[in-house]
Amino acid sequence: MTTTELSPAATAPSGADQPDRSGRRHDRWRAALTGWLFAGPATLIVLGLSIFPAGWAFVLSLEKWNGFSPPEFVGGKNYSRLITDAEFADAVLHTIIYTAMFVPMSVLAGLFLAVALNRRIRFIGIYRTAIFVPFVASAAATGILSTYLFSPQYGLVNNVLQRLGLPAQGWLEDPAQAMVVIAIMSLWGQAAFTTVIYLAALQDVPGELIEAARVDGAGSWQTFWRVIWPQLRPVTVFVTIWQTIGAIQLFDLVYTTTRGGPLNATRTIVYFLWDKAFRSLDFGYGSAAAYVLFAITLLTTIGVVVYSRRKNMEAF
Amino acid sequence: MKRRITFSVVTALVTLGLAGLTACGSSGQGASSLDKDAKVSLTMWTGQTENSEKILEGLAAEFQKAHPNVSIDVSSGASSTDDLLQKLSAGFVGNSYPDISYAYGSWASELEASGRTLDITDRVAEPDVKWNEFPEGARLTARPTGKKTIGFPAIVDNLTLLYNKTVFDAAGVPYPTDQWTWDDLRAAAKKLTNPATSTYGYAYSVSGAENTVWKMWPQLWQNGGEILSPDQKTAAFDSDAGVKALTFLRDMAVTDKSVYLDQTDTKYEQLFRNNRIGMMASGPWVLYDLKTARTKYGVTLLPGTNGDHQTASGPDLWALFDHHDKNREYWAYEFANWLTSAAQDERWNVAVGNLPLRSSEVGSAAFKTQVKTYPGLDIMAANGANAKKVRPTVSGYVGLSQAIGAAISEVLQGRAEPKPALEKAATKANTALEAAR
Repeated sequence: MTTTELSPAATAPSGADQPDRSGRRHDRWRAALTGWLFAGPATLIVLGLSIFPAGWAFVLSLEKWNGFSPPEFVGGKNYSRLITDAEFADAVLHTIIYTAMFVPMSVLAGLFLAVALNRRIRFIGIYRTAIFVPFVASAAATGILSTYLFSPQYGLVNNVLQRLGLPAQGWLEDPAQAMVVIAIMSLWGQAAFTTVIYLAALQDVPGELIEAARVDGAGSWQTFWRVIWPQLRPVTVFVTIWQTIGAIQLFDLVYTTTRGGPLNATRTIVYFLWDKAFRSLDFGYGSAAAYVLFAITLLTTIGVVVYSRRKNMEAF
Repeated sequence: MKRRITFSVVTALVTLGLAGLTACGSSGQGASSLDKDAKVSLTMWTGQTENSEKILEGLAAEFQKAHPNVSIDVSSGASSTDDLLQKLSAGFVGNSYPDISYAYGSWASELEASGRTLDITDRVAEPDVKWNEFPEGARLTARPTGKKTIGFPAIVDNLTLLYNKTVFDAAGVPYPTDQWTWDDLRAAAKKLTNPATSTYGYAYSVSGAENTVWKMWPQLWQNGGEILSPDQKTAAFDSDAGVKALTFLRDMAVTDKSVYLDQTDTKYEQLFRNNRIGMMASGPWVLYDLKTARTKYGVTLLPGTNGDHQTASGPDLWALFDHHDKNREYWAYEFANWLTSAAQDERWNVAVGNLPLRSSEVGSAAFKTQVKTYPGLDIMAANGANAKKVRPTVSGYVGLSQAIGAAISEVLQGRAEPKPALEKAATKANTALEAAR
């Protein structure tokens, strides 16, 4: 937005009849109009497609509405229902478990792959592309692929296990394993993202620092942890937040693989709210869950940003 | 100064946006008295894809030719039939909804509660509509609370037993007959199951969705049970009949391990086609894929209890909506009536491989041809007579279905016992029924 800068005209005494300034005012007027003509359409889209629905969802979260009958105002009842709802608590727990598995794995995998790919070897372009391909595949495709790989009766993974003389697993049909499978599949799809970010950061590490470390007699392990890793810290904070926000919004992979099953073991917060809103036709309750999710995301982000500012990590 | 400029620009943009929005909405008041010759444009959402959508568009074009003052905009309305519900809900809020829409039977009471549906009770009572030719279940669904008739039946189907002849032949088990009991099914399923080839005797859904639920209703009814209490206010499926039905399925799934439990409802039909599953309860909608896959299959009635082979049916509707315009109301009704008459239904439902909507079509040449293409279709059509009870159309049914769906899927996966699971589900269902009132 262009309104944040304090213009001299606003602070000057409002004597509009000063002839020498009228030309400049006219210019400024044109500049503002031009600015708004550029920013206007995007602002409208943001207002119309994000702010307005978000506001409406908040109103909905205070109502009982099935999408058809007239809505009924219930105040904070949907929120108090959420607090005592064991299903919602389970959904929160499943989301936390998934996040705790997925985020560290994707950050570490990204770091490892980036270091591995950050060297001059033959066909490096092919390797880099190969790592990036799963990221481009849609979650729907990843989901369908995982149902084929991890089907307990007919899947490829169990087939391989049996050839090796290992017991077949329940995978997506075992409540204890389903979330692990989903975390692995999202890692497969998402590791490329962290890899690319780390690759870029690695290439930003000044060569003279590494050279200086070598001259001082540091081994490659020492060079990595003492010189390169500290340089990567802001990027690590960034990808951690990014992946966490993505992880607590997990929905598409669950929808395409398990539909929240087996026995609700993979029901995440977003799946829960989708189920409540669009399958139980309880839009108010679903919106309340969405707002709780929004609060969690916001608090996580603020927490990490404040932490990194204090530590001077310049991630944001 | 600058602030004022920004403010006025924003105001202008918002006004522009609002003007755009209102332009999209419906325009003005409709006709308050009927003029059959006035120009009328109708919108119809079919919820259909490809072939059946094209046939409906063709029929609408024919109707427009016969009535040049009527124009009908036919589209599928949403990318899938399930999504139509969301579209309708959004349409009601934005005041731009169709005149005619396809609707699942389970949505009927929600649609009526919206206050946007027409009531055609008086008109369908006219003898030339031959309302009684529609199956009873479909007629009851079109009248969800018994007060208003909100539309015409669109598609009817019911559950039959489909068996895979290749799987039966390989295990040397005789094919199911229409005299079977559920114990016969259990014994056969056990013989068909072979862990070495990952072959299962029977398939059942444990997604917890309505697909899990309605496949248990026939057994509940055959055992003398009911879904709801007579006053339709509380759940009654936790009766002895319900426990017996669920215990039977549990014994097959947990004790015999002869049931393929589908977590997402996306695989069992495919596995049946590929000769990995011996039997499944299903309906006419799978015949097209079975034919394409060249699966050797047979169709018979569901197994019975003491000779009672009753089944569950799933009627869908053409819901008609009110736009406070007599002309639109008249022509929407006329078109739906024409479309669901025997002559047109043969060219749509029968042509795409669905069951005929009216009893009078069963003897028609068109249907006989279809039976040749899709063997078993005649048995499915005749099985309509075994659909003696309707799934409830009260608006809390969605919540009830979710509660018992979760119970069934827990029990079949060995995580709960039938009786306590059903009792817990009934308590949850009662809360949902109460909340929906």
